[in-house]
Amino acid sequence: MAAKKAASGKLALSAVLDLNEASVLHGKLMSMRGKDIVIDASAVERVGVQCAQVLVAGATAWQADKKSFLVEKASDAFEKTMALIGISETQLIAKEI
Amino acid sequence: MDMNEIKEIFFQECEEQLAELESGLLKLNDGDRDPETVNAVFRAVHSIKGGAGAFGLEELVAFAHVFETTLDCVRSNKLEPNQDVLKVMLKSADVLADLVTCSRDGGSVEESRTRGLVKELEALANGEALPVAEAPKAAKPVAAAPAKPTDDSGFQPIPFTFDGFGEEEKVVEQFTYEVTFKPTRELYSKGNEAALLLRDLSRFGEMGIACDMDQLPTLENMDPEASYFGWKISITTPKSEEEVRAVFEFAEWDCELEVKPAEASEGEELPMIPVPFDLSSLDDEPAPQPETAATEEASANVVKAVNAAVEKKESAAAAAAAAAAATQNNAAAAASSAGQTIRVDLDRVDRLINLVGELVINQAMLSQSVIENDNNGVSSINMGLEELQQLTREIQDSVMAIRAQPVKPVFQRMSRIVREVADMVGKQIRLVTEGENTEVDKTVIDKIAEPLTHMIRNAVDHGIESPEKREAAGKDPEGTIKLSAKHRSGRILIELQDDGGGINRERVKQKAIDNDLISPDANLSDEEIDNLIFAPGFSTADKISDISGRGVGMDVVKRSIQALGGRISISSRPGLGSTFTMSLPLTLAVLDGMVVTVAGQTLVVPLTAIVETLQPEASAIHSFGANQRLISIRNSFCPLVDVGRILNFRANQANPVDGVALLVESEGGGQRALMVDAIQGQRQVVIKSLEANYTHVPGIAAATILGDGRVALILDVDAVVGASRGQSLKPEMSLAAAG
Repeated sequence: MAAKKAASGKLALSAVLDLNEASVLHGKLMSMRGKDIVIDASAVERVGVQCAQVLVAGATAWQADKKSFLVEKASDAFEKTMALIGISETQLIAKEI
Repeated sequence: MDMNEIKEIFFQECEEQLAELESGLLKLNDGDRDPETVNAVFRAVHSIKGGAGAFGLEELVAFAHVFETTLDCVRSNKLEPNQDVLKVMLKSADVLADLVTCSRDGGSVEESRTRGLVKELEALANGEALPVAEAPKAAKPVAAAPAKPTDDSGFQPIPFTFDGFGEEEKVVEQFTYEVTFKPTRELYSKGNEAALLLRDLSRFGEMGIACDMDQLPTLENMDPEASYFGWKISITTPKSEEEVRAVFEFAEWDCELEVKPAEASEGEELPMIPVPFDLSSLDDEPAPQPETAATEEASANVVKAVNAAVEKKESAAAAAAAAAAATQNNAAAAASSAGQTIRVDLDRVDRLINLVGELVINQAMLSQSVIENDNNGVSSINMGLEELQQLTREIQDSVMAIRAQPVKPVFQRMSRIVREVADMVGKQIRLVTEGENTEVDKTVIDKIAEPLTHMIRNAVDHGIESPEKREAAGKDPEGTIKLSAKHRSGRILIELQDDGGGINRERVKQKAIDNDLISPDANLSDEEIDNLIFAPGFSTADKISDISGRGVGMDVVKRSIQALGGRISISSRPGLGSTFTMSLPLTLAVLDGMVVTVAGQTLVVPLTAIVETLQPEASAIHSFGANQRLISIRNSFCPLVDVGRILNFRANQANPVDGVALLVESEGGGQRALMVDAIQGQRQVVIKSLEANYTHVPGIAAATILGDGRVALILDVDAVVGASRGQSLKPEMSLAAAG
């Protein structure tokens, strides 16, 4: 399991966000519903589309919950892959309202 | 898919590109100056060149290159596409088509033709007529001879190489493609990654991307390993469409993919995210298993304050709406341009059609045996069978529609023939086509090309007068040939009309007398004289030319048309021109027929030929001459033809009062009453060729299998009517004798 919870409301993404990681990430996010969350993407070296799907669905869920969902310290690989697959920064953010 | 299959697809695409090329050039010839038309023409040649390069078809590449260079001059307004220029271009299109054919089927195009045109094209590209730019020499058609750009006007010939086509190409043209890509779950489960495909694509050039997230469910409802995202991509690149497609080639079965040139939706700005061109950091292979390192340090949580001006939800909704709109635009554009099509091997369609044919026969057999065993005709089986019959019919119509194609390709071929023949005989002729989108079964299309070619050659060679003669007659020196197609009562009607001198009836009659086709004292109507040109061995040409007049002309045409179950007729007005009308069945697979009994035999008469049926009364029958009989119908007389006698089913004529008369329309427009013994019913029959399975039988068009399993012959109404005419056409007399 690569996604580790650094502290309550914090989630560090693993280096490789591939097909296998998608279910793990999904499970983690599901377990963290209801509280503000900060995602640390600094270690990410590779992102697959399925993990991106989970992250976008997560941001949408947090938005619905009116909780904050932030991606911080995104690595170069993370940022570029998101741009490559057409996901903007704003689509990975849920603001606490 | 092996190389040969790919090559076959390339040649299929060449056919389409050549059709596009020709229709574009013809539009330009008609004064169309839409830049898109010029672009379409250029693209067609460019695509052929690109594909040919990949297969090492050097001759084709070399010629296409020179052609393309000249077209580029037109595209960049350095060369005005006037009539002279277009004449060269149309000829070049013909040569290009021949080169494609030779590359596919073997053989070679006369070098002198190619060389002559290359010179003409180069001369045009060199642009003596260009006052401003000193146009560069086009590349010579030898391997890898890139031409150097010699001016600053922006015009450069495109250098090319034969191996690794495009590798060293200095990019002059940039194409923008719209790519729609939606992976399936299988793509990921097979170890492919959509992001990597997108990365590879982004390397081709400048790319913008919009992610369609419409199908993404909520976090709770989603399957993390499913595929929800799709993309709409706009990429500007020097690469060809094929190269763009090749990026996805290993995933093509596991995604929905569409690649097309972007101009279709120009003006619609898509909310695309520009993709950074430098993605080198994504290139590295993934670290083996990064379970350990990264995390402890990463947990030094520095919360980055993100100042998002736009509400995430709003932005997502806007993006989704835009993506949906883009998809709709895309669909609309595709529908208006080509529609959704698939290529299917013709053999498969033929097999399906044959099977449906068997189904029809089988259903007829089943119906018959139920009727035989169900005297009151109200059983539920009987009712079910009626529904089955209707369904079978619908299936058959749908299947036939698959093989239906517009006559356009054939018509386009004719414009080339008109050009070539008119050049050879020194005439100015314009071909006008109408109704080229009229659809007809592919088997019919394949078979009308040859007779039509012959008729077009005849019209150019004999029909239209020389420019001098035309001027003397007060006509436009440029003759017009009109080729039109339309549907009429379940058949396709093809008309070939020229505004030439019309048929010289005196000469035709004299020739027929000379050739012993008619007796000198025969009294023939104008229509009958005109029809003499369809007699075998008849030719009015005073000199035998390469083009026509070999005396094997119109009779062959007539026989080919008849073999298709069609009719041909002619009407001509002296000084004003002639019109040939061909009426052909829409399909050669099925036929609505009337099943009749003649001398104990069962025959099928095509329903399209029958005008009405009647029971003759003794008072209506009149004898005429030695053995002719007429029937009086509503105060007019119509010749009575005993089918059984004509086909030699019986030795003596039957008594008309005992039978039924079928009033049929003959090819010349006149009517005949065909005598049969009884009518059994009306039904759809599946045509089985006699020629293919047995041999041609005069008076019989084909055969079919009836519901009870017996074979019935399908009557060739025109042949029977022709035979009954007797004296006027000896060859058709022999038809009756042979029957």
